[in-house]
Amino acid sequence: MSESMIRKLHTMLTGKQISCKELTQTYIAAAERDNAALNAYVTLTPEAALTAAEAVDRKMAAGEAIGLLEGIPMTLKDNISTEHIRTTCCSKILEDYVPIYDATVWKLLKAQNAVLLGKTNMDEFAMGSSCETSYFGGAKNPHNIGHVAGGSSGGVASAVGGHIAAYGLGSDTGGSIRQPAAFCGIVGLKPTYGAVSRYGLIAYASSFDQIGPVTTTVEDTAIVYDAISAYDPMDSTSQGRKGNPVCDSLKNDIKGMKIGMADEYLDGVREDVRAAVEKAAEVYRSLGAEIVHFKLPALQYALPVYYILACAEASSNLGRYDGIRYGYKADNYADVNDMIKKTRSTGFGDEVKKRILLGTYVLSAGYYDAYYKKAQNLRGTIVKAFRTAFESCDVILAPTVPMTAFENGRAVSDPVETYLTDICTVPVNICGLPAVSVPCGFGQDGLPIGMQIIGNSFEEAKVLNAAWQYEQAAPDSYHPADFGVKL
Amino acid sequence: MIDKEEIRKIAILSKLFVAEEEMDQLTEDMARIISFADTINQASEEGTEFDNINNLSNVFREDEVVPSYERERILQNAKDSDEGCFLVKNIMR
Repeated sequence: MSESMIRKLHTMLTGKQISCKELTQTYIAAAERDNAALNAYVTLTPEAALTAAEAVDRKMAAGEAIGLLEGIPMTLKDNISTEHIRTTCCSKILEDYVPIYDATVWKLLKAQNAVLLGKTNMDEFAMGSSCETSYFGGAKNPHNIGHVAGGSSGGVASAVGGHIAAYGLGSDTGGSIRQPAAFCGIVGLKPTYGAVSRYGLIAYASSFDQIGPVTTTVEDTAIVYDAISAYDPMDSTSQGRKGNPVCDSLKNDIKGMKIGMADEYLDGVREDVRAAVEKAAEVYRSLGAEIVHFKLPALQYALPVYYILACAEASSNLGRYDGIRYGYKADNYADVNDMIKKTRSTGFGDEVKKRILLGTYVLSAGYYDAYYKKAQNLRGTIVKAFRTAFESCDVILAPTVPMTAFENGRAVSDPVETYLTDICTVPVNICGLPAVSVPCGFGQDGLPIGMQIIGNSFEEAKVLNAAWQYEQAAPDSYHPADFGVKL
Repeated sequence: MIDKEEIRKIAILSKLFVAEEEMDQLTEDMARIISFADTINQASEEGTEFDNINNLSNVFREDEVVPSYERERILQNAKDSDEGCFLVKNIMR
C-alpha cells in the first residue's frame, strides 16, 4: 500500500464524505467486533473517543480548517500514560492504575485533536518478543491468528495491521516497535534516542526506551513522527527533531544514496527472509542507489550486551513497585518488608521477575565488573563500529527479524532461544540510532517479512526517504489483513 | 555457575520471594541466560569507554517553584492512605 491512511481519512473528513463521529463509530464497532479474535486492545474508551470526535465535527461545522491528525482514530500502547484512563503495562501490578497526567506524546497528539480509541496490549512491562507475557493474554497476528502479533508492542501492531486503529504509538527498547510491525506487515519507526520525549512512558530500560509510530505506510509514520518529535523539558534526555519535518524529504531522489549491508545481519537468517531482503537491495539498485557491503563484527556482542544492560536498568526502574503508592498491593502480610515482597512476587509475571533477578545479579558485588561494566564497554565498541560504518554509507539495510511471526505459545518455551530472535533489532537501541521496519514481502508460510532501514543519529529524514522510495517501487510487498474497517 | 543459594541471595536483594517448587526451573533458566550473557567475556577486546548516547549532557533548570499535582489525586492510586499520607504498617518498633 502506498496511499497514506491518515491522508485518506483526512480527505474523507474534509470532503464531508463522512463525519468524524461516524468515522469514529465505524472504528469503535470494528474494534469491538474484531478484538475478540485479535486481543489487540486491553482497554477501549468509546465515550471519550466520541466526545473528541464531536468536537472535531463542531469545528468543521463552524467552517474551521482541521489539521492532518485531527479526528483520526488511533491508539496508544498501554505503557504510555493517559490521564483518567487506566495504564496497566499489561501487568497485574498496575491493573487498576490510573495516571494523573498525560505522557508528552499523548499531550502533543491530543492538542491536535487525535481521537484515542483505547489502549493496546503488550508484553508485561514491554519484556518479551511475542506479547504473550501480557497479563491479559497475547495479541494475535491479523494475517493469521494462529500466530503472534510480536512484541512487545504486539497490541498496537495487531490493531493497526488489523485496521481497528488508523495508527498508533508503541515503544521500542530492543525492537518492540519494529519486530511486531514486521510480523504484522506494517511500518514501525524507532526514532533516535532523544528525538521523542519519554515523559510519561513507564520505564523499562531508560537508556534504550524510545516511543515511535506504528502505521500502515511510510508517509503515515513520517506524519506522526513529525507530530511527536519535539524537545521536552520534562525529559532530561530529550533533544527533539533536528532539522525540517521529515515529510518534506520523503520523496527525494535516492540516486547515489549509499546503502550498507553487513554480512553479520544476514547470518543465520531464515532463507526466505534473506531472499526478501536481498531482493529489496535489488530494488534499491534499480532506483540508482549503491549497495555497499561491509563487516560489522561487533554485532556478535549485541545480544548479551543488550540483555545485561536492559535487565540491569529494569531491576532498578522496577524497584518502585512496592504496593505503597500505586498499583496492586498484596493482602495478609506481617510487616512492610513482607508486604513489598508479597506484592512484587504476586504482582509481577515470571518473565519480569526473571529479568529483575538477572539485572540484580549483574549489578551485585562480585559480578558488576564481569557483566555490567564489561557490557557497558562493549556498548562503546558497538557504538564506534556503527559510527565508522556511517562514514561509508548513508543508511544500513538489514532484516528486522530472522523469521516470520512465531506460532502462538512457541516463544515462551525457551528463554534464550526467544532472546536470540532480537538479534537484528537490539543493535539500534544499543547505539540510540533511528530505524524503520517496512514490509518487504511474504515468507513461505504466507506471513509478512519486514526489513529495517537504519540511519545515523537524528537522520530520520534519510531513513524514511529510503523507506518511502522502496515502498513506492515495490507495492507488492504489502497487502492488507482481512480485519477491521474497510474503506 | 549460578546455584540455588545465589538465587535466594539475589531474590532478597530484588525483594522477591521464590517458591521452592519454582526453584529448579528458575535455576535452570537463569543458568542458561547467564551462560549466554557470559559470551561477552570471550571478547578479546576490553571495549571502549562508554559515556552516553548521542552526546547527551546533564540538564539543569532554575530552581523555581512550579505547580505540582494535587496531593488528593496522587493518593487516589494508593491502596491505603490516611490524613494526606501513604499508609504502611509500622516500620520502627
